[in-house]
Amino acid sequence: MPPAGGFEGIKYRRNIAGTRFSALTILGAVAVISGIGFYRYGQGILERRELQREKVWSRIHLVPLLMAEGDRDAYRRQQAAVEREKVIMKDVKGWEAGKSVYNNPKYASPQFVVL
Amino acid sequence: MSSYQPGSVETKPYVDPTPLPDGIPKVQELGVTSGPLKSAAFFIGAYCKEFNEDFMLCKAENREPGHCLKEGRKVTRCATDLITKMRENCLSQFEAHWNCLENNNQEYYLCRKPERSLNSCMFEKLGLTKTIPGTPDGQKPIHEVENPIYKAIQK
Repeated sequence: MPPAGGFEGIKYRRNIAGTRFSALTILGAVAVISGIGFYRYGQGILERRELQREKVWSRIHLVPLLMAEGDRDAYRRQQAAVEREKVIMKDVKGWEAGKSVYNNPKYASPQFVVL
Repeated sequence: MSSYQPGSVETKPYVDPTPLPDGIPKVQELGVTSGPLKSAAFFIGAYCKEFNEDFMLCKAENREPGHCLKEGRKVTRCATDLITKMRENCLSQFEAHWNCLENNNQEYYLCRKPERSLNSCMFEKLGLTKTIPGTPDGQKPIHEVENPIYKAIQK
């Protein structure tokens, strides 16, 4: 039998998460944070471009120096090759040592290089 | 079968020992490795501008290696001169910077601190400044930006 005065009400309570920030505030905050991030990203792209320019120019400044050194070595080896060719082909009449195989005055780098 | 057989191919590359012909004046090669070269690149560009441009114009005329030997010697002498001057005047800053470059994958942006001290020393002693051509107008050149986005992650 139920007690006198009936049963107590069932104790329950809904734990709804607090609505401290409104939806618009949260959306706004996300937009601001993303905006800052995208801005920094864009600045980073511009900065990377400048860093690349710096790197490229450092190499451009070194090109003549390295090329001059390489040219001296290439010239030395070329002359040595011509001398060798002269000795090897001394018995062949009409042989011109070091003559280009192309009928073109433009310089072509040699196909075979003795290092 | 299992005895030692000398290889039919030399393990060392053959290097042509023939020296340059006598008619060509000799010049001491620079013999500087990549780190110091990268560290000094902009100063070489500033100090040897005329010789470098002369050489490249000559190369544009004719690509033959024998064509620009004279200009090439001037380029090398000028660079040697600059490196000697750098070593005389800013040795510690120079070494600090190129050692930093060697330890940081040769990236300029990781070595701004030693670079700034080297740049100021070079400006005071030799009057050379680092300028990067093509920097947009009104923008600080990248090596002078105080708080860049790209920097070393570890302090």
